[in-house]
Amino acid sequence: MTRWAISGMALATVSVLGASPAGAHHSFAMFDPAKVVVLDGAVKAFSWTNPHVSIQIMVKPKTGGDPQLWTVELTSPGNLTRAGWTRTTLKPGDAAEVTIHPLRNGEHGGGFLKLKTASGQIFVGGSPGPQQGVS
Amino acid sequence: MLSSTTRAFLTLQAILAVAGSVLAAPVVAAQPLPSTPAPTAKDWASLGGLPDWSGTWVPDMRDQGMQETSNPPPWTPSVAAEIRQAQAEEAAGAPRGLFINCLPEGMPSWMLISHNAMEILFTPGQVTLLGESDGNRLRRIYTDGRAHPADPDPSFHGHSIGHWEGDTLVVDTVGVLPETFIAISESIGAPNDGDMHVVERIHLVAPGVLHDDLEITAPHVLSKTWKTTRAFLRHRLVRDAISEGVCLQGFFAEGKDKAGHAVFTPVPQDSGGNVAPKG
Repeated sequence: MTRWAISGMALATVSVLGASPAGAHHSFAMFDPAKVVVLDGAVKAFSWTNPHVSIQIMVKPKTGGDPQLWTVELTSPGNLTRAGWTRTTLKPGDAAEVTIHPLRNGEHGGGFLKLKTASGQIFVGGSPGPQQGVS
Repeated sequence: MLSSTTRAFLTLQAILAVAGSVLAAPVVAAQPLPSTPAPTAKDWASLGGLPDWSGTWVPDMRDQGMQETSNPPPWTPSVAAEIRQAQAEEAAGAPRGLFINCLPEGMPSWMLISHNAMEILFTPGQVTLLGESDGNRLRRIYTDGRAHPADPDPSFHGHSIGHWEGDTLVVDTVGVLPETFIAISESIGAPNDGDMHVVERIHLVAPGVLHDDLEITAPHVLSKTWKTTRAFLRHRLVRDAISEGVCLQGFFAEGKDKAGHAVFTPVPQDSGGNVAPKG
């Protein structure tokens, strides 16, 4: 069963969430690091494209009404591949729970933090990998 | 008997032939163009004595973030004021986005602030850095003993020559376009404004950690040479290899033309470089 909901919460700090996602070519300062929004909805599109992968997801407002389109920006396909993603990690119609820092301007977009798929798999993005590297 | 028209034509031909031979004659003795000799088996074998820099090198982005505040460039006073303004704009949620036009980050920003991985190739007389993004980026570091050109053509990555000091590759770079940024993040930095000189010492500090110690001299925007280090972490999984990264692709969506052909169609972006449509 697909759950439709948006839950939002303002956090005093984002340190518990780790670093912001890695952008290929722009700052992520247009996203508000002090806010975290969980988008629970149905994937409309998953664009596996440089320099930023994006997820379009239809989310039904908690207050009711028609599902609204949200667009979530991630890092590059190369960085996501190294973090375990593939271009088929998400497909149109998939139920997904996407955690984001929302756009500061209030529009329905955000910078990606975490994905929980319908099967419960967790994906993060832009992981710098083992801090000490491998030999 | 030749007609007058034919005689005139032949005369014209003779004149042109003489003129052509004069114009085509070399003014000075021909000099052989410089060429790169074919590597010998010994040249290839000697690469085995170099340190192992194989694998995929991913920038240590946590360290990048810390460096942004712990060791900022020694900007000149006027540039420092510009940087403070840019930082204030970013803090207010309106970052400038130095690279959202998809031009290459270039030198030294590739080494300083890239979020994308690179591979390093050793071949006789040359070390080559290949990177994702910018579709795709490339640095050639000549290790064959050549000098810089007297007047190198300015480029995003400049002209680099290198030599080995033990297991450290020492790289000297000049000829970088003045518009190329000295950046400490994707929204904070200043154009180098020309006459920049970058010296790097690239070396392993652990089997899986590569350091690039940079000394950046940019007399028009820095008050003194800036010394800073960036770290890269080795990855070896097959999936870790660098992939194609065409930055401009983000300005387009996959579509169809009137004939049904698969074509790229432009998509609008906002001032922050996002393709996010309004929901």
